[in-house]
Amino acid sequence: MGRGGFFERYLRVDLGRRTAEHVPLDEATRRAVVGGVGLGALLLTRETKPRFDPLGPEAALVLAFGPLVGTPLTTSAKLAFVAKSPLTGRISDGLSSSSFAIAGKRAGVDAIVIVGEAAEPSIVLIDEEGAEVVPCPDLWGRDFQISEASERLGKEYPEHRFAVIGVAGERLVRYAGIANEGRHAGRGGLGAVLGAKRVKAIGVRGSRAVPLADAEATLRIAKDLARRSLGPATEKYRSLGTVANLSTFNRLAALPTRNFQASTFEEARRIEGEVLHETRERGRGSCKNCTIGCEHFYEVRPGQRPVKMEYENLFALGPLCGIGDPEVVLRASSACDELGIDTISSGGTIAFAMECAERGLFPAGPLAEEARDLRFGACERMLALLGDIARRRTALGDLLAEGSRRAAEMLGGDAPSFAPHVKGMEIPGYEPRALQTMALGFAVGTRGADHNRSGAYEADFSGKVNRFEASEESAAHAVAAEDRAAVMDALILCKFLRRAMENFFGEAAEMLRAVTGLPFEAEELERAGGRITLVRRLFNEREGWTPAEDTLPARFFEEKLPGGAAKGAGIDREGFARSIKAYHARRGLDEQGYVPADIAQEMASLLGGRKR
Amino acid sequence: MVTIELYGVARLRAGRAAIEVAACSLGEALAALGVACPALEPLIVAGGRLAPGWLVALNGAQITADPEMALGEGDVVVLVSADAGG
Repeated sequence: MGRGGFFERYLRVDLGRRTAEHVPLDEATRRAVVGGVGLGALLLTRETKPRFDPLGPEAALVLAFGPLVGTPLTTSAKLAFVAKSPLTGRISDGLSSSSFAIAGKRAGVDAIVIVGEAAEPSIVLIDEEGAEVVPCPDLWGRDFQISEASERLGKEYPEHRFAVIGVAGERLVRYAGIANEGRHAGRGGLGAVLGAKRVKAIGVRGSRAVPLADAEATLRIAKDLARRSLGPATEKYRSLGTVANLSTFNRLAALPTRNFQASTFEEARRIEGEVLHETRERGRGSCKNCTIGCEHFYEVRPGQRPVKMEYENLFALGPLCGIGDPEVVLRASSACDELGIDTISSGGTIAFAMECAERGLFPAGPLAEEARDLRFGACERMLALLGDIARRRTALGDLLAEGSRRAAEMLGGDAPSFAPHVKGMEIPGYEPRALQTMALGFAVGTRGADHNRSGAYEADFSGKVNRFEASEESAAHAVAAEDRAAVMDALILCKFLRRAMENFFGEAAEMLRAVTGLPFEAEELERAGGRITLVRRLFNEREGWTPAEDTLPARFFEEKLPGGAAKGAGIDREGFARSIKAYHARRGLDEQGYVPADIAQEMASLLGGRKR
Repeated sequence: MVTIELYGVARLRAGRAAIEVAACSLGEALAALGVACPALEPLIVAGGRLAPGWLVALNGAQITADPEMALGEGDVVVLVSADAGG
């Protein structure tokens, strides 16, 4: 074992063969991709063959920890779930924070790779010795809520921490998530990857202390970071949480409404964060090992358990579906969490279906019959549909369980032009026409439309660019934002710290030196951010990505925003194409956007020598 | 008169959603805002300037932090946190 931060190995669990082996991780690999999403992307590439089925036994699910997990650094209790997405066919990762991350790392590994398929529905129990595959007939196919399944597992295996899928994961809903202790790796359908392997849950336990190369320096940095994490840079998250975005975005006409037909919502006032805070807030919480405490819980009805709410849930299950009833939005968000489906993709897919219903695009028969009362603002219908999707119950629920892109392709006609996705991933709550550097970030994202792997909206909200126009300058911002996010997600630390860190790469290098004892420098980490993005792009290329995927749905080019502060805004197709070209050039890609052969060759040894 | 709309933390701290001030520039408007709502000083506005992490959108559109930006009768200054993530 090295001096700190890493255990220098990962655990490879083969469900079909019921074997587990520790595989060494060398220093070059650790320095090249650091950990978290970087390590996850690398191991996913190494552990799979080209063009594999994400729901087949040959698929791999990687759980990657970062070098800072298990240290005293605030917000470091995180892990990355990484796999090929059954929703997009491209790489996807979901970050999650809980004591699961710490327990997993303390099993003495930097990552866990799960391949194969269990012979019967099972759970996987992992500890310092290895892994055990245990059948779980009492948990599978019972339609438990995630909280109930987690509680049962906790009682039976009190020493383990669990990551669990819901009924949606069992039914292979393409945007099913993986839950652990109330947190969710939601995007991209990684819960379906686990469900396809017939694994209901992964339990981890461990007692190995994470080694610190320089404990004194680590503690000093941790204290300083914790102090700053309680300052003005994070006040928004503490006092209101991410739901504070809703009123601002509505005022700036950047709030996606009615399946991106508008960017202001006339009922926004009922559900804005400031009002929820005054009328319904009933408590706050935080992830394990976090000093910020951004979680806010709101009352649904008196006497009922309060529900956690984030901006993305609020926008997707509210304005995007034309719904302004706070109780309904809270119930819908809670339902998604308990069923195990991604809130953004759920809201996006249902909003798409609502527009299809209003336009009469469902073919005559069961689908049209089921969609007869589906309209924007149809509260109870939306709530019922969430259950139908998660259980693939009814023809419409089964169709929408495929996500908006596949559903649109099945419907045909005009439907694909307004399915709200990039690379199959439903678009988060940032209206592309009102935030055009973010629009570029969405278009080129390796995970698809993605506000977490690209923070390009920061440029739109900086005053440094014209938010109504994507430009070559936008490309520089998009690359920089992507690189910062990649390193943040490789460490892994919470992005809500970003404004508390004035010199991100420098401070990150200092943390890594203290924890690992390796001579990380700021410039090296900046290069690592770009390298991680290239690893993801190479994976996508290997799996069939083409340059045509780096774009947005036709709606954003063809329809202007109808009202509010962004009235008349649209995306110029030629100008946007130029900004994508500029992004590709700045990223070091070739004219078409592919990773050049010489760079791919350089990275071949890192990726296990497999050819594209 | 110029209207300043407050969102998020600024609204919570000020205890109001909007305020009208007499101002010919953003700097003047922010100075007047600080006087009218002392709870915003110095973490959101400070001496006629915006604190780090805060911006305005003039009439909801053009985003800036430039205190020299000229304002006219009826303009609406939307005060927002630059930290839009989540």
